[in-house]
Amino acid sequence: MDPLRQDEFDSQACGSMAPKAKPCPRPKPGEAAGGCSFDGAQITLLPIMDAAHLVHGPIACAGNSWESRGTLSSGPSLSQYGFATDLTDSDIIFGGEKKLKDSIDYIAGRFAPPAIFVYSTCVTALIGEDMDAVCKEAADRIGIPVIPVNSPGFVGSKNLGNRLAGDALLQYVIGTGEPEPETDLGVNLIGEYNIAGEMWDIEKLMNSAGIAVTSRITGDARYKEITWAHRARVNMVVCSRALLGLAREMESRYGIPYFEGSFYGAKETTYSLRQMAYLMNDREMERRVDRLTEREEARLSQELRPYRKLLRGKRAVLYTGGVKSWSVISALKELGVQVVGVGTNKSTEDDVRRIADRVGDDTEYIPEGGASRIIKTVRERKADIMIAGGRNMYVAMKEQIPFIDINQERHKAYAGYEGLLRLAKELTYSLANPIWKLAASPAPWDKEAPPYDR
Amino acid sequence: MSRDELNIKDNTSLFKEERYVQQRENKKQFEAPCSEQETAEALAYSKSAEYMEKNFSRQNVVINPHKACQPLGSVMAALGFEKTLPFVHGSQGCNAYFRSHLSRHFKEPTPSVSTSMTEDAAVFGGMNNLIDGLENSVALYKPEMVAICTTCMAEVIGDDLNSFIGNARIKGVISEEYPVAYCNTPSFVGSHITGYDAMIKGILSYLYTRSGIESKPGSGEESGEKLNVMLGFEPYTGNFAELRKILGAFDTKYTILGDHSGNYDSPATGEYEYYYGGTKLADVPQAANALATLSLQKYTLKKTQEYISGTWNQQLAALSTPLGIKGTDTLLATISELTGLPVPATLTEERGRVVDALMDSHPYLHGKRVALVGDPDLLIGLIGFCLETGMEPVHIICSNGDVDFNEVKFKDEAEALLAASPYGTEATVHVGKDLWHMRSLLLNDKVDLAIGSSHLKFAAKDAEVPLVRVGFPIFDRHHMHRYPIIGYQGTLNLLSLIVNTILQQLDDHNSGFNFELVR
Ligand code: SF4
Repeated sequence: MDPLRQDEFDSQACGSMAPKAKPCPRPKPGEAAGGCSFDGAQITLLPIMDAAHLVHGPIACAGNSWESRGTLSSGPSLSQYGFATDLTDSDIIFGGEKKLKDSIDYIAGRFAPPAIFVYSTCVTALIGEDMDAVCKEAADRIGIPVIPVNSPGFVGSKNLGNRLAGDALLQYVIGTGEPEPETDLGVNLIGEYNIAGEMWDIEKLMNSAGIAVTSRITGDARYKEITWAHRARVNMVVCSRALLGLAREMESRYGIPYFEGSFYGAKETTYSLRQMAYLMNDREMERRVDRLTEREEARLSQELRPYRKLLRGKRAVLYTGGVKSWSVISALKELGVQVVGVGTNKSTEDDVRRIADRVGDDTEYIPEGGASRIIKTVRERKADIMIAGGRNMYVAMKEQIPFIDINQERHKAYAGYEGLLRLAKELTYSLANPIWKLAASPAPWDKEAPPYDR
Repeated sequence: MSRDELNIKDNTSLFKEERYVQQRENKKQFEAPCSEQETAEALAYSKSAEYMEKNFSRQNVVINPHKACQPLGSVMAALGFEKTLPFVHGSQGCNAYFRSHLSRHFKEPTPSVSTSMTEDAAVFGGMNNLIDGLENSVALYKPEMVAICTTCMAEVIGDDLNSFIGNARIKGVISEEYPVAYCNTPSFVGSHITGYDAMIKGILSYLYTRSGIESKPGSGEESGEKLNVMLGFEPYTGNFAELRKILGAFDTKYTILGDHSGNYDSPATGEYEYYYGGTKLADVPQAANALATLSLQKYTLKKTQEYISGTWNQQLAALSTPLGIKGTDTLLATISELTGLPVPATLTEERGRVVDALMDSHPYLHGKRVALVGDPDLLIGLIGFCLETGMEPVHIICSNGDVDFNEVKFKDEAEALLAASPYGTEATVHVGKDLWHMRSLLLNDKVDLAIGSSHLKFAAKDAEVPLVRVGFPIFDRHHMHRYPIIGYQGTLNLLSLIVNTILQQLDDHNSGFNFELVR
């Protein structure tokens, strides 16, 4: 079996090089765990919309997952197709390499993608398929890049998969192309997957400040633009947990400075835009950014006023991963919402530090998953609303807790200034919906007091 | 704030604005540039008969699959038993997929855990993970039974569940008596329906064997008057309710073997309880003494049926999903035969009402050409329903293989069914094909309507065919699974879904003289 890079990764910090940084958490057997490394790798690369993504393995991995993420495309849709080699028992015994090769050929012939990403899965890694060799041979033969992504589920968490996907980009994609000479070079956005179109809002802001996007890694991306990512002047890491290593490596290989930032909340958005201009070392651009952010912030605070009035003093429990764990706190604070509990399960040490900077002393940290643990915090801290991902949503509903989906299945874009407005609106709606009162009142014959007046 | 005073746009309307459209245009420079004409040509080619032939000769890649894997079915099966925790032995990702897949369909939480095997487990086997996992999950979630299934990874490394569970008992992690059922469900064979079957059989045989009861079918004791009923891999909680209604009308005693409707249709009481409803564990060994067993998904439940008629030596009636009037007639006749009870008048009356409804709608259904995608038993039911309404099934795709029951293969049965009706003469049945094949079929040989799961929406959209969502999974519509599609009431629901889709089409495509008030 191919040496998988678990050890190397685990001894290395997840979010920073600080010696004490904790490794990626390993799931405990017997718990309802989150996604696997294969899932993580797929999530990172699927937003390369014009590429084909082929899952090499039995039907499990592709059959249960194709086209179920909310990462939007502004054009090509090839990435939405569920391609799988669908190995059967005889392939497991005799090997699936022929099938893989034929699949690659078929996809190349029929769909003519700019590149094909091939994902290993638990079984193909276990039976020792030489995916790298098959991909290399195929790439040479058909003349398009065929990129092996070695991230089988069992090597660990989703987050590790994100990073292995970053590895694949570094090894096979970044640096293999050059932008057109007249291209305006600027910032790579790393780890922003264009869920619900958030990337588009961000791009609009950057463009109004005259900052060009060089490559999207990988929200609504095109294969070609990633090949020239090494020409960017700045890297912005939007989700630090996932792809910080990629930015770090690009700094050492290509000398591109990077920073970690977010677009949740007006403050974070302003900071991120400023940071871009600053790192581009362009005074004129800095002035433009200042003008833009001042104007946007003023307008926003005007528009937010009615929402702020309604949201002030409301208490929220936030359970999400990575960058959102701290940046959404800033966004909520701007709206007057107090975060009384926050999940730290998927956060790096740096993330936790950032959380600590943003919350009060009596905020509870929730280190481990499990719906019941979150619910307990909501109850004990008398929270008004729960902000988490889709898998916890239905439990919240059973408990009659107002809920907002913040993770990959969300259908609302919360990034940037307009995003904050949208978040305010969603929070207000979710809290104010009459269903909570109705749900909390028993049937009229089950209690003395008249219903619906709680 | 009740209204959208500030007019904040959601992403659907926002991103249609000019500035975003422009942004998208700009991005074209990164795309592999090809002319409008080339694009049009490629698109036209993909719709051509020539391409369809190529597509159908494709051997080695699956494009847009319409099946899930075995353990997903096992998780659903395990949730059909009281206070039972589904436990997936493999690496963590599969279980996460099962949970979201099932939750997105039912809009309910799915309690299920994983042994989260990692690399060391791949090398040294997953015994420690399994033992630790049992210890943790029993402590955390307090189930009364654990139901373990394997993933492809555990199968490839050859983990031996039986001995691992034995070792967990020896180590004192669980007591000698603590019930742990299991089954082997590699995802490189079969599909979600095979996995469902394996787990149901696993649980029935396990609980029966350990009870020490010896089966005396129809023994005259209390359980001997009961009927066992199995619904199979059932994505409709409403079907359980409908079946209960029917059995209640017969006034027969019965046990549903594997009833996950509690878990997937629980009330919002303000407290999440983790386990809801399900077949009582103590009822399972008693079921061996029942009068007979009625299976409503004969292809799905193949192994379980063999077990029941073999080991329990029990009379078994196996049907496919009872859809439509004839399908329901057969169901009622079978119940009547098995229990010796007459068909109640209330049901006959209901039948009459639904026949009346079918007559009301028949002008809009007659001769409509339809495409069908689904699991084998559902397809048999749907074909029957279409034929009796005068709709003509044209393309039929069953992704999960050519299952057989009592030496009758699904494909043969479907073809025989079609051949027996003048409305079935145009149909072709494809097994083991995917939704990209279906796309070719839809584009080359137009139909009026497609019936299948949400996954079919992409092909249907390409071919501009309206889609009626039936089956599993339905991710993009709400509450469909709460309405039965079996029985007479289910027939009525299915009819309204279909006929009203057709009427909506009529309205959407006719603005002139044909835009009528009365239809
Ligand atoms: S854990 Fe392995 S088999 Fe399961 S979904 Fe992930 S890669 Fe596929």
